[in-house]
Amino acid sequence: MKRALTVLGALALATTACSGSGGNVPGAGTGKGPVTVRWSTWGSAEDVKVYEKFTEDFQRRHPDIRLKLESVAKYEDYHPKLLTQLTSKTAPDVIFVGDDYIGKFVSSGVITPLDDKLAGPDSKSRPEDFFDGVYGGAKRDGKIYAVPNDTNPEVLWYDKKALKDAGITEDPATLNESGQWTMPKYLDMNAKLKAAGKAGSIFWNWYGSTYSMINGFGGKVWDGGKFVATTDTKAREALSTLAKGYQDKTFLSADTLPDSNGPSTQFLKHKAGFYAGGRWVVDSLRKGGELDDYDIVPFPSPTGDPMPGAVAASYLALNKDTKLPKEAFTFLTEFVGKEGQMLRLQGGGAVPSVKGAEQVVLAEGYPKHAQTFIDVRDTGFANYPEEVAVPGLTAAINEQLLKVWSGKVGFDQGMTELQQLVQSKLG
Amino acid sequence: MAVLTRARPRAGRRRAPGVRNRDGWWAAFFLAPQVTALAVFLVFPLGFAVVLAFMRWDGLGRKEWAGLDNFAAQLSDPEFGLAVWNTVKLALLTVPVGLALALLIALALNNVRGGSFYRVLYFMPVVTSSVAVALMWQIILAGDESGVLNNSLRSWFGLTPPDWLGDTGWVIVSIAVVTIWSSLGLNVVIFLAGLQTIPPQIVEAARMDGAGSLRIFRSVILPLLSPTIFFSTVVAVISSFQAFDQIYVLVRPEDNEGARTIVYQVYELGFKDFEFGMSSAAALILLALTLLVTLVQFAAQKRLVHYDS
Repeated sequence: MKRALTVLGALALATTACSGSGGNVPGAGTGKGPVTVRWSTWGSAEDVKVYEKFTEDFQRRHPDIRLKLESVAKYEDYHPKLLTQLTSKTAPDVIFVGDDYIGKFVSSGVITPLDDKLAGPDSKSRPEDFFDGVYGGAKRDGKIYAVPNDTNPEVLWYDKKALKDAGITEDPATLNESGQWTMPKYLDMNAKLKAAGKAGSIFWNWYGSTYSMINGFGGKVWDGGKFVATTDTKAREALSTLAKGYQDKTFLSADTLPDSNGPSTQFLKHKAGFYAGGRWVVDSLRKGGELDDYDIVPFPSPTGDPMPGAVAASYLALNKDTKLPKEAFTFLTEFVGKEGQMLRLQGGGAVPSVKGAEQVVLAEGYPKHAQTFIDVRDTGFANYPEEVAVPGLTAAINEQLLKVWSGKVGFDQGMTELQQLVQSKLG
Repeated sequence: MAVLTRARPRAGRRRAPGVRNRDGWWAAFFLAPQVTALAVFLVFPLGFAVVLAFMRWDGLGRKEWAGLDNFAAQLSDPEFGLAVWNTVKLALLTVPVGLALALLIALALNNVRGGSFYRVLYFMPVVTSSVAVALMWQIILAGDESGVLNNSLRSWFGLTPPDWLGDTGWVIVSIAVVTIWSSLGLNVVIFLAGLQTIPPQIVEAARMDGAGSLRIFRSVILPLLSPTIFFSTVVAVISSFQAFDQIYVLVRPEDNEGARTIVYQVYELGFKDFEFGMSSAAALILLALTLLVTLVQFAAQKRLVHYDS
């Protein structure tokens, strides 16, 4: 009996030892000392350094709140982790959500509607401070569930030297200002670049480039809740032009270029005329380019009139199960507010999603037509709500299109498969 | 002698019912942690996965009954077909080559001096993190100028090597090489253990009867080692069917469909597409496939494996 009691005692001790400190619930405050607000995002150690300044400033102004950043290095790995955290009720208080997943998180009810809070007295960012187009899937039935923390309007960077080498005398930005920046003109420049032994354009294989091209042909991607990119005549013409361009190397897919000779390297070496990207390209150019050689222009339209361009956005949302709703919102509203964005976006990276912070983009005077970023943001669109409501749909569309671009699948077959794929994902 | 006599259990001794009950409770008490852990961490998740395979669930919202829809969808999905084919190719490449190589090395090490040193050397990849292994091989096999292998092939032999990890056709071969390299040590150690159970007298007797080394290997060593080979084959096939972590780090199958395996398909459906029902159905199909292949192996071993020395 004595031995049994000893064993029981040992087991009890072991159980206690293994149970950890019961009161240490993540994010929960004790009422004494500062509380810790956990927040999560993606990005490498270098990427997340841009948040250090904001964090220091925030903690100085709110000594009762500590911020704990939980970052995942790769975007592809971030949402799977977030999903498991949300399912197990261990997700951070404030969460970054990508524009291709926001729709799902909204519809599943795991994030808090923000309308009242954003309109409340503690808010540093009102609902109307953000452009309607960039809410994308973060808005549902008129309710705001997440706020764009910054944006990256997709524009065409162009290399003046490469264009000149190819015998192109017209300047795309000047053409744009005079309302003559049309799709035929752009394709003609690409053909000249190709004839000069260069690539016309480099695109990342994502909706920003693809759907901007479809828009440039006057086509539609989604219409009335239906995916029509493969059936709409003009959209199909755009996709066919892209497919032919990729196969005859007029266009290069940045996704398939080797790391050692990637899109930035090719662009810096004047091997391509255009490179589709956001404000983040500035960082690449600063690392080795002659800055004056480069400028930006929106994607061309069919007639030269301005048209909406794609805007990449990521969102900041409040975990519905947060134990610190007040402190978490304080962080959220300041992070996405004007001052917060200006602090974070100095020098490059992205374009503020909030009105009134434009000078952070324009102050440096680079690129020459930096105003284009603002124009595209103000009239642009985030990925379609129908598309972002289905997790993995955007990635599946891109994957299928890459097969078409690379010629692994013929164009007509590829389009049929794409339509079937979207329909099967939509259920 | 007297001690031995007393220690021998007395036949026909009956214990009182109270004592039996008390022993039973103690047994249950000591087994409880293990049984509980098994139930919580093995039986429940397995049962949950089986139930989920018949449901639609995005991991966040409500579950809905789907019947056999998830299985039908997976079995008619070309991506799942591709994943099965890639998995089978990987097994066909890694199991025979990996085991043959391990056997050859084990035979060499069996009679070599300083065998422990080589055993440690070959076993090192097994105890190395699979992510570290994958990252190291990524540097070696990279298709661009940074790839150690391709750089060497270009500069030393003037060859134009393929992009080992980027080419859809070559990627599975590259994965097989990495898998064989990282699992070689384990198989070598298992084979060495098997070889050391073969009585040297039998080998000596065969040699005295005039058998050469090849004949001894074919007629003595191989039959006596067949239970070990069978065990290693079963384990290797199951491992190759479950390949994931190294492939995920080495290639990222979303970038190269030649590397899409069944477990990656399970991961993608669940954690990227948020289709846990579909993901569970794919996992159950994998379980059924593994079971089927293992049963075939067990059926074959009746004819091929010798358990008598």
